Amino acid sequence: MKRTLIVIFLILIFFVIYFLQSNFFNWFNIAGIKPNLFIILALFIGLFLGRKYGLCFGIIYGFFLDALIGRNIGISSVMLGIIGLIGGYIDKNFSKDSRVMIMTMVMIATIIYEVALYVIQSIVLSYNIVEIGILIKTLVIEVIYNVIITVIIYPIIRKAGYFIEGTFKESNILTRYF
Amino acid sequence: MYNNKKGGAIGIIITIVILVLLVVLSNTELSSVSYLGNAINAIVMPIQNGYTYLKNGIAGNTSFFTNIEQLSDENEKLKQENSELEQQLRELEIIKAQNATLKEYLELTEKYTSYTTIPAYIINKDTSNYSATFIINVGTEDGIAENMIVIADKGLVGHVISVTKNTAKVQTIIDPSSAISITFGSTGDTAICKGTLETNNLRATYISTSAEILENDTVCTSGMGGIYPKGIMVGTVSKIENTKNITDRYATITPAVDFNKLETVLVIVN
Repeated sequence: MKRTLIVIFLILIFFVIYFLQSNFFNWFNIAGIKPNLFIILALFIGLFLGRKYGLCFGIIYGFFLDALIGRNIGISSVMLGIIGLIGGYIDKNFSKDSRVMIMTMVMIATIIYEVALYVIQSIVLSYNIVEIGILIKTLVIEVIYNVIITVIIYPIIRKAGYFIEGTFKESNILTRYF
Repeated sequence: MYNNKKGGAIGIIITIVILVLLVVLSNTELSSVSYLGNAINAIVMPIQNGYTYLKNGIAGNTSFFTNIEQLSDENEKLKQENSELEQQLRELEIIKAQNATLKEYLELTEKYTSYTTIPAYIINKDTSNYSATFIINVGTEDGIAENMIVIADKGLVGHVISVTKNTAKVQTIIDPSSAISITFGSTGDTAICKGTLETNNLRATYISTSAEILENDTVCTSGMGGIYPKGIMVGTVSKIENTKNITDRYATITPAVDFNKLETVLVIVN
């Protein structure tokens, strides 16, 4: 029951972020560049719920995103899934309490996601000009914005994350030992 | 940072303040905050005045050398003025050419009225920085179909790429995967105009080697290939980039429509 509620909550969060991204951040931007909260969301789900959930939620979020605003289903789906997976791997090897660690993770995840997305899209949608200069400029501002937002909301995420992690991983241990 | 509650809260508040400052500063034009410059000037000016007075006092002893300095300064100034005047002359010539094309456009605007359009609001903009699409509040029920042209009061916006019952997805001309055929207003040469990642920048490529392009020239759709009809305003040429190889040269085009402030659009139905 608790788990179902959490899953529903995590899907609702996606829509909240979607409306933030498509409306609020269109005017609350740094030099015309908006952050990408979906990456942070997928990363933290992987981080607190593990690889499996990270992958699943990433794929679901990506699917919604593609259906809502994208041009072809699948690209962001796969990429967000991979970000979820990365979150799961990091969870096993690093501490979630270190601020620098979290910031670095968000930074790397944003770079991986956006660069991969840009490369895939430039091939699939046949971009005519590949603007490395503009891409780097956009990416740098976006990474900084994402990191700033992570710093601001991290206490909330950490609290919610540990609560959710407790609910999910507790039962894992039970199944393992009984 | 987060273990120490007090310190954590201060850290977060500072970060929020930095974020808000970044957003505000990056979105305000410098001229609109001239009072800020005035305030800083008020602090700096007395010191600067004192320094200048001191400098003049010392330099006054060698008036001969300062005279030469003055003369060369004046010379420099006059040269600059001369080049500015020359530039103004060039601009006037361009304006002359533009005047002729604008007269042509006047006839075109009359043509616009022959299109049947449906007004629409933008309800959602793209969530990503790497593509530029948006969703409008009309769909198949209002008679919208794929590949219909979307315009705004000032010029071309893009075309419909997919439709649902009540909404339609529009790909704008600034999207990196968009390409439109254009003609330059004054010379009639054609080129392909592509979106870059930047909001207010299009790039015209495949310009023929014999073509003459002028800065501030108007650009409109050519009607060749694609789905865009002829004569819809796209924007103005803001810069011409001459590369080593003339076949590679390109022009930067500022779209007529301000995509950041775009809220209502028109969909051409017929």
